[in-house]
Amino acid sequence: MTYRAWLKSLRSAPWMCWISTMLLLSGLARAAETPPAQPADSVIRSRLAKAVLAEGDEQKKEILSLAATGSKVVREVLNAWPKDRILLFAGENDTKIPALIEDETDSDGKARAVRIDTGAFLSDASGKPLKFAAADITTAETDSDLRRTLQQGLDAMALADPIPDARKTAILKLGNSQKLQNLPLLRDRLAIESNAEVRKAINESIALLQLGDPDPAVQKEAVIQLGKLEAIGSLDLLKKIVAKESTPSDIRREATSSIQSIENHIGVVNFVGTIFRGLSLGSILLIVALGLAITFGLMGVINMAHGEMIAIGAYTTYVVQNLFGTGFAFSITLPFSFGGKPIGFGLSLPGLNATGAFYESYFLVAIPLSFLMAALAGLVIERVVIRFLYRRPLESLLATWGVSLVMQQLFRMVFGANNVQVSSPSWLLGHFNLSDVLFGYNRVFVIGFAIFIVLGTYMLLTRTPLGLLIRAVMQNRDMASCIGVRTQRVNQLTFAFGSGLAGLAGAFLSQIGNVGPSLGQSYIVDAFMTVVVGGVGSIVGTVCSAIGIGTADQILQQATGSPVTGKIVVLVAIILFLQWRPGGLFSIRSRSLD
Amino acid sequence: MRTDSKRLETWLTLAGGFLLIVLLPALNVLPLPEFLKVSDFTINLYGKYLCYAILAISVDVLWGYTGLLSLGQALFFTLGGYMMGMYLMRMIGTLGQYHQPIPDFLVFLGWSKLPPFWQPFDSFAFAMLMALVLPGALATLFGFLAFRSRIRGVYFSILTQALTYGACLLFFRNSLLMGGNNGFTDFKFILGHDLRSAGTQRGLYIATAITLMLVLVGCRWLSRTKFGLVQQAIRDSENRVLFSGYAAAHYKLFVFVLCALVASIGGVLYVPQVGIINPSEMGTEKSLEAVVWVAVGGRGTLVGPILGAFGVNALKSWATRAYPDLWLIFLGVMFVLVTVFMPRGLVGIPDQLRELAARFQKRKTDAEPPVTGIEPDKSLP
Repeated sequence: MTYRAWLKSLRSAPWMCWISTMLLLSGLARAAETPPAQPADSVIRSRLAKAVLAEGDEQKKEILSLAATGSKVVREVLNAWPKDRILLFAGENDTKIPALIEDETDSDGKARAVRIDTGAFLSDASGKPLKFAAADITTAETDSDLRRTLQQGLDAMALADPIPDARKTAILKLGNSQKLQNLPLLRDRLAIESNAEVRKAINESIALLQLGDPDPAVQKEAVIQLGKLEAIGSLDLLKKIVAKESTPSDIRREATSSIQSIENHIGVVNFVGTIFRGLSLGSILLIVALGLAITFGLMGVINMAHGEMIAIGAYTTYVVQNLFGTGFAFSITLPFSFGGKPIGFGLSLPGLNATGAFYESYFLVAIPLSFLMAALAGLVIERVVIRFLYRRPLESLLATWGVSLVMQQLFRMVFGANNVQVSSPSWLLGHFNLSDVLFGYNRVFVIGFAIFIVLGTYMLLTRTPLGLLIRAVMQNRDMASCIGVRTQRVNQLTFAFGSGLAGLAGAFLSQIGNVGPSLGQSYIVDAFMTVVVGGVGSIVGTVCSAIGIGTADQILQQATGSPVTGKIVVLVAIILFLQWRPGGLFSIRSRSLD
Repeated sequence: MRTDSKRLETWLTLAGGFLLIVLLPALNVLPLPEFLKVSDFTINLYGKYLCYAILAISVDVLWGYTGLLSLGQALFFTLGGYMMGMYLMRMIGTLGQYHQPIPDFLVFLGWSKLPPFWQPFDSFAFAMLMALVLPGALATLFGFLAFRSRIRGVYFSILTQALTYGACLLFFRNSLLMGGNNGFTDFKFILGHDLRSAGTQRGLYIATAITLMLVLVGCRWLSRTKFGLVQQAIRDSENRVLFSGYAAAHYKLFVFVLCALVASIGGVLYVPQVGIINPSEMGTEKSLEAVVWVAVGGRGTLVGPILGAFGVNALKSWATRAYPDLWLIFLGVMFVLVTVFMPRGLVGIPDQLRELAARFQKRKTDAEPPVTGIEPDKSLP
């Protein structure tokens, strides 16, 4: 397939639709999982208060039925009860008022108490909350039977948690408890559970519990079931069964084959995980190298300050974050003085003091801003330094290195020599789990982001008048100039665009790594290698080489067990690869002599 | 015009050689009044600059004379330094922190006896041999691969940078048993002489100065032979050299290996005078710094790199103390200005001024359109 055809397929890209549809569907699925209708809070509270005072089987039954409501109050009370934190307050007419003692104590070790039936503080006649010391109060008693019921209620509540992940954790905890009495609880839940992931966890937990069943037939069934479910968590238990002398031979045989299938599954999980990490690393490389592919590949300028453009993007994100928070300020005093006064400058910007979702949306503002800031810096550098060096590429390397030194020092002076903190918005944290492979949201995001940037760049270069001019100038600067293209202007814009892409990379890198003055330095060598391997002047080549290098790096890291060795092997491999294809993956063929 | 600068070069070389080899050590050792005396510290500092000058010459022969901008010269410099460092580590004997017969960092890593590849480094001769063999072999292998597939220009620079980066990562690893990121330090003796005594340092200084002069004379001789002419022809137009029937790759490989050896010798002399060697010395920025010295001094001349190495480093010593925060900005701005406006460096300033004057004259006579002071680069194919 020629690369033009490949690009065409990329453009029509049915898989893009798939991805967006899937994202949409998962969002819908989440919205659909609303908690079941619950009795009003006040009803639960009064029933709970009664249950605390009740006795015997009736009490236990009521506790379990209250637990089924999934109410937060019930959970608090059930948790507090065995810890002697339910106060029985002597009210009027010899009644007892159950109340929940707060965790928080004052300097005398006394705490306030919340009435279970109303939710208000226990207070004296003037309405001031009463305070109780742990030593001189009567608390609701528990015996071992009741404690078991309470635990059962709590477990049931955890299983009914509206968040599937929380349910799953609770279920797996029960599964690992090795207590057969938890079985009915799990079976009840299985009957009503609709989430496939959680159902799988329940089946796994049931089988795990059944491993401890005295009946060999049940045990055998469980072993087979675990093998079928490819339950990674059961591997140790199964190995123990195989190792145990007393295990019947048929169970041992089944366990061995189950272990085999689980280990196969682990292999697949690790492989898919590695590929996924490789893809995301490749995407990072791609985002970093794409700007370079423009400035170096298309324009022939060796921009050693490209790394600092990345840092500009990252620092812009940092500043935007601070502007959404408490504001941003810096001041520099130069070691010179003028008329007895030290020369210095500074800047102080007030913050929005935003919180919650609005604060977290800072990243969405930071992305375009970091593009703009880096593009602006690129524009300045192009005007001041690079325009003198278009015909001297080797020297553009040296001059831009000088620029990069200056910029690094400026970062150090403005933002300090240490790394600055950039917090990720919550929607970039965490991960989802697809048959035991963890997909971090930030890694998924970077892949999507890379696709977006590549498509954007491709569209700009091939579908816009500016792109046409850029390609014309890059192919033959003199000829373009002759037919009236304002090459100076095009150079400016192209360099600014390449720098802006670096800024975008910086905005993203601030989410996954440290932001410091030498941030760019750690990526610059990799970025140049990516462009050289891909073939200078070819965007498609850059895409392929970024993904290839990223994946190879992850696989080698896995294989050699050390990130540094993996990296060295990749570098050596690149040098050898260039023996085979000196022009890179997609070298542009021409009849001209260099 | 060139003859003028050539004559200047000869005089500068002779005068500089005398100053460095005879006068400075004499001023250091003779009982002279205070204002004439050169302190031990200065001798040591100048010894360091001389090593940098050797490194700068190796960069210049590659870049200024052959048109190969290598960003890996610091790697060869450091490799030589490491070989010397291994010998010096063995000479510490049992005087280390742990009073063990093996280097301290090995004790720290849990070794009880010397790893096999360390053993021959008890011998000074072997260490010196390795300081030539190792960088030489690496340069041969890398150069062979790079020049065979006709990697040139910018790609060569980027590849050498990648090589340096990879080696730097490797040397940062403790498992290489080369001291990890602390490298080697706390040296005590060299060939039985105490490294901390002023006499030994003076001896090392004189050895360095003589080496520099030998390298200078050798490179100058080489540049005037037929080989040197081909070398410069490759710089000016590699394709024409190829079409004339020369195997440019062989010439380039020879020069590349030669320069690796020169850089390595610089490193060998550098380590005992500075007293420490660690992987940060082979970082990519160190190679670029060496390129800065050459660019500032003037590439394509042999005096230029020495001037550049001395000038920039003296400026650095002063500026890092006077303006620690602004030093990098100085360096960066200087580099931009030199690259953009002084492509021939300090040595080229007289020529550049003369050309400007001539142009000015010419413009007066026949009002030509204005031209910039920048000459198109000749090193491009």
